[in-house]
Amino acid sequence: MNRQAVILDYAARPVGRLMPRPGEAIEEFEQDILCDLIIQTANNSGVAREDIGSLNLTSPTPATQQLGFATFLASRLGLRCDARISDINNMGITGGLAFDQACEDVSSGKTDFALACGIEFSTGAPAEMIMDRGIRVVGDVDFQSPFGLTPIAWYAFDANRYMHETGASRNDIAQIAVKNRAHAALNPLAQYRKPMTLEEVCAQRPIVEPLGLFEVSPVGDGAICLMVSSEENARSLNKPYVRVRGRGFQHDGHHQIGNHYHDMLAFPAASHTGNVALTMAGVKIDDINLAELYAPCTITELLVSEALGLAEKGKGYMAVLDGEYSLGGRLPISTSGGCLSRGHPPGLTGLYGLAELYDQLTAQAGERQVRDATLALHICEGGNYNLALAHVLESMQ
Amino acid sequence: MILEIVKCEGKRPLAPRESHYTREFWSKLSTGEFTSTRCQVCRKLMFPPRQHCPMCWSKKTDWVSLSGKGKLYARTTVHAGPLMFQQHIPYSVGIIDLDEGVRLIASIIDGDEKIQNDEEVQLIVLAYDDGPLFAVRKIESD
Ligand SMILES: [Zn+2]
Repeated sequence: MNRQAVILDYAARPVGRLMPRPGEAIEEFEQDILCDLIIQTANNSGVAREDIGSLNLTSPTPATQQLGFATFLASRLGLRCDARISDINNMGITGGLAFDQACEDVSSGKTDFALACGIEFSTGAPAEMIMDRGIRVVGDVDFQSPFGLTPIAWYAFDANRYMHETGASRNDIAQIAVKNRAHAALNPLAQYRKPMTLEEVCAQRPIVEPLGLFEVSPVGDGAICLMVSSEENARSLNKPYVRVRGRGFQHDGHHQIGNHYHDMLAFPAASHTGNVALTMAGVKIDDINLAELYAPCTITELLVSEALGLAEKGKGYMAVLDGEYSLGGRLPISTSGGCLSRGHPPGLTGLYGLAELYDQLTAQAGERQVRDATLALHICEGGNYNLALAHVLESMQ
Repeated sequence: MILEIVKCEGKRPLAPRESHYTREFWSKLSTGEFTSTRCQVCRKLMFPPRQHCPMCWSKKTDWVSLSGKGKLYARTTVHAGPLMFQQHIPYSVGIIDLDEGVRLIASIIDGDEKIQNDEEVQLIVLAYDDGPLFAVRKIESD
């Protein structure tokens, strides 16, 4: 069986602070917030509890007390899934994988309705503690972590090398943060919505040189749930939906860097994955109306846009300066505000990106609506885009 | 080629573990020798040293001594780091391409001038109280 998978609906909390600070009274437990969102998604979709056969949860962050969260959640909601219940955790690609698995369960015929969801609590945990863990995720614990490389330090290498090779200035790249903030200003789910200038971005304290505070993603909590179904079921529910028309995945064989020389700025997995997804969809990159790119730093968005062929390698920053990726431009990128302004609960960023494309492709994006949006590209990643997962989505109103 | 050994106060912020296998690397390093492994079957040179060749999966590897000379590929200076690195902030780290063809991560010890990408660098040993780490500095012209 190979059925067409679609996104039926979603529900989400704005990215920001959901987690209580240490010692602060707890307003809501993680499980309660996520239960709310799952029920809301099912109700909005018109899907009954008994018909949900697959629950794909992104692993909660270490601060979450309740372990065994996926089956715990299923028991809280009386879900008796007969396709799958899984708890997914693989760096930044986590949210995308949860969605991918939900699609797989639907298209293979294992179930008619599948959930991709998760909750992350990080704001109440000290940043240094999160980084203690982060350096072990992105580096070989015995040969790289001892040098103190945080996850974003690897993107800083990219920025440093990109500037060296292309002659682009920090300002040129930082323009992406300004663009994405302008998009976020129009997104009710965004963590930071106050417009900012290039001068403000470049005046922030350095975090990982050459990147400063506003060129790297902030810490944010989030909670989100997407409902995936087959197209025939979506049709019978008589509501707008979004088709998953193409899919690509690749790991380039490296963990941040390989043990030999290679072009760190090429993001070959992103390039390959994008091509595979576009080919499966039977379209070209020029047919795409907008894209949500998993990009924890300004430079990351730039490099993925080049890897996808939106701009010539080493020249992507010029397209940013020309406004090609802004709302109203040739191909708006990160209309949600992206990781930098919509916010970046890492395991959920993929799901928030897909939700943005759902809003856009069902013409529910309000002030940030991309006119006549019919085809969109989503890509998320792990490492330094060593892992990449892309989906091409199509409007079916 | 014996690397310069620079004495450092205190312990390493995050000490690497040593297995029976990797102990060879760290004990050689503390004497100023920079080593890694080469696959006996397909001749692939690796870094970090590994028991398993990633190319042919052979477990037959030889320890080889490397020159410690290379070029800086990219660099960053970290101003917001993990708890155990707090007292070292800001610290500089680089991606180094060694002349023998392997790429690795090392601390950067800048002199009066910041080392730039593609400049030639030389590995040195940082001898902490609890064991060695490695870093690069600019090659002195003498
Ligand atoms: Zn081999």
